[in-house]
Amino acid sequence: MRLGAGLVLLGPYILLLALFFTAPLALMLAISVSRQSFGQMEWTVTFHHYARFLSDGFYLGVLWDTLVLGVIVTAIALLLGYPLAYHLARTRSRWKPLLIVCILSPLLVGIVIRCYGWMILLADRGLINATLVERGWIAKPLPLMYNTFGVAIALVHVFLPFMILSLTGVLKRIDPALLEASQTLGASRVRTFVEVTLPLSLPGILAGSLLTFSLAISSFVVPILLGGFKVQVLPMIVYEQVLSVFDWPFGAANAFVLLVISVALIAVYIKVTERALRGIV
Amino acid sequence: MDRALEQGDALSDHTVELHGLVKRYGATVALDGVSLGIRPGEFFTLLGPSGCGKTTTLRSVAGFVVPDAGDVLIDGARVNAVPPHRRRVGMVFQHYALFPHRTVTQNVAFGLRMQRVAKDEITRRVATALALVQLPDHGGRYPRELSGGEQQRVALARALVTQPSVLLLDEPLGALDKKLRDHMKIELKRLQREVGITTIYVTHDQEEALTMSDRIAVMHRGRVEQVATPRALYETPATTFVAGFIGNINLLTGQATGHGTVDCHGLKIATTGYAAPGAAVTVALRPERVRLVARESLDNTHAMTVTHVVYQGETVRYVLRSDSGLTLQAVELGEVRFAAGARVHAGWTADDARILEDA
Repeated sequence: MRLGAGLVLLGPYILLLALFFTAPLALMLAISVSRQSFGQMEWTVTFHHYARFLSDGFYLGVLWDTLVLGVIVTAIALLLGYPLAYHLARTRSRWKPLLIVCILSPLLVGIVIRCYGWMILLADRGLINATLVERGWIAKPLPLMYNTFGVAIALVHVFLPFMILSLTGVLKRIDPALLEASQTLGASRVRTFVEVTLPLSLPGILAGSLLTFSLAISSFVVPILLGGFKVQVLPMIVYEQVLSVFDWPFGAANAFVLLVISVALIAVYIKVTERALRGIV
Repeated sequence: MDRALEQGDALSDHTVELHGLVKRYGATVALDGVSLGIRPGEFFTLLGPSGCGKTTTLRSVAGFVVPDAGDVLIDGARVNAVPPHRRRVGMVFQHYALFPHRTVTQNVAFGLRMQRVAKDEITRRVATALALVQLPDHGGRYPRELSGGEQQRVALARALVTQPSVLLLDEPLGALDKKLRDHMKIELKRLQREVGITTIYVTHDQEEALTMSDRIAVMHRGRVEQVATPRALYETPATTFVAGFIGNINLLTGQATGHGTVDCHGLKIATTGYAAPGAAVTVALRPERVRLVARESLDNTHAMTVTHVVYQGETVRYVLRSDSGLTLQAVELGEVRFAAGARVHAGWTADDARILEDA
């Protein structure tokens, strides 16, 4: 009876996932080990495409850049997001709803418009460089765009809400009495943060970082628009292989490498953090 | 008015002194001139209904509340500007506030670690503290693996292990069920005696206050109404509020007629205390001091009718009404002796009927 009710409630979602997530994923896995000759798919099992990827310095380089970009974006989002989340969790200000809207605002703007906004700011003749050159503070424009810096800034901008909301939920649940207990036991505010708040907010750090990292390494539009093809990330290679080169098996293999590596990293991350989480969750 | 000082406490020789504390939150006044002196080794209770300022008083000793006016002294030193982590106070919170990500041992060791005590000494003192609260074998567990009572003991051990100047307890038994609470009351008092630490205890539960305290300050609307020993508080309440808050009591309004006699609803009642003839006064009379007697033998004996009988197990409560319309309650131990409608004589001594000062 309870199982039946559960199935009825979960059914539609499971069906949706099976049809539009699991099935395409399985198909993609099949394609990645198949052979393609003259545009015709031959359903074989070959690891040729994986071997090609792993033996080619160019693709490995792109993979490395993608992961580094993911780490940079996650780290910056965490550093910027934590203080904001801390404030949001503690404040009783009547401006709190407005603050939340501000935090969510990057998600309210379409991705292309958001990127063009950054271009207006970061381009060689954009607002920042134009102002600095005009004032004579710099001789030639700073390289703010068409590099990792520009891509990272735009990615942090859009993923910050996920980080902040993940952290706020956890920080809010920390009993203020714990911080007071720490203080009466002789820990200063800074020490209390390090000894109590930080370890207790690890689940939020974990959740927010995982979310940000996986979104960052699979981002596509932002690296294209703000990286201007000078910043190569794996999703762009996948796109190129599938839609320009029409080498579907190699594109699928690329996508799977990305998937496997991010799942593995996430597993390691969870394992490492698990020890610190003992007693909390 | 500074009652604590008025009642004859010398200003020296106090572990904690509060002088005229005032704290406002917007338009509400949380503390309205609170002055208290807490003696070394004393179990001192702040008692009152919610919103009376007892917790604010405790938190201003801990340093979490900075008073708008007045001084807080710990061990003779003014600590108004000293942050909580340098005040050397131990505090136990209502919901224990144990660090969930640390074991019992790590929780208890926390304060010693902050004081940079040597490792082997920490081990030794943590073991002693856990033995003191009778949890010697629980060091490796996490707080969530302990019962509420055990968590409370760990919180106590953690607060005591650093040997603070004063132990602050904020309704520490509030989250426990009744049976455990009764047990912890005795346990807490034993611990406090054994360690001999000056303790300030906050509660709204008069029974807890009466059973554990050396002295009690009854607070009401941000002020201290009375500071006294449990027995003095119960037997000689100074104000109507104290009389009404501690236990059950008959508060009879009437007019003083001189020589300690008060006219309540046409009954002449002999009392202790003095009020000018003609003044409107309140007379406090404990129900258990009203005796239901056959003959007129006490200072006050009045013929009355039993209007209600309330059976309470150990005790029986009678609601009585005089022919002139005065109602009062009497409580007796044991069996039900009268039924509703019975005619009785209610008697009490002049000592038991007290004129309250703020009537």
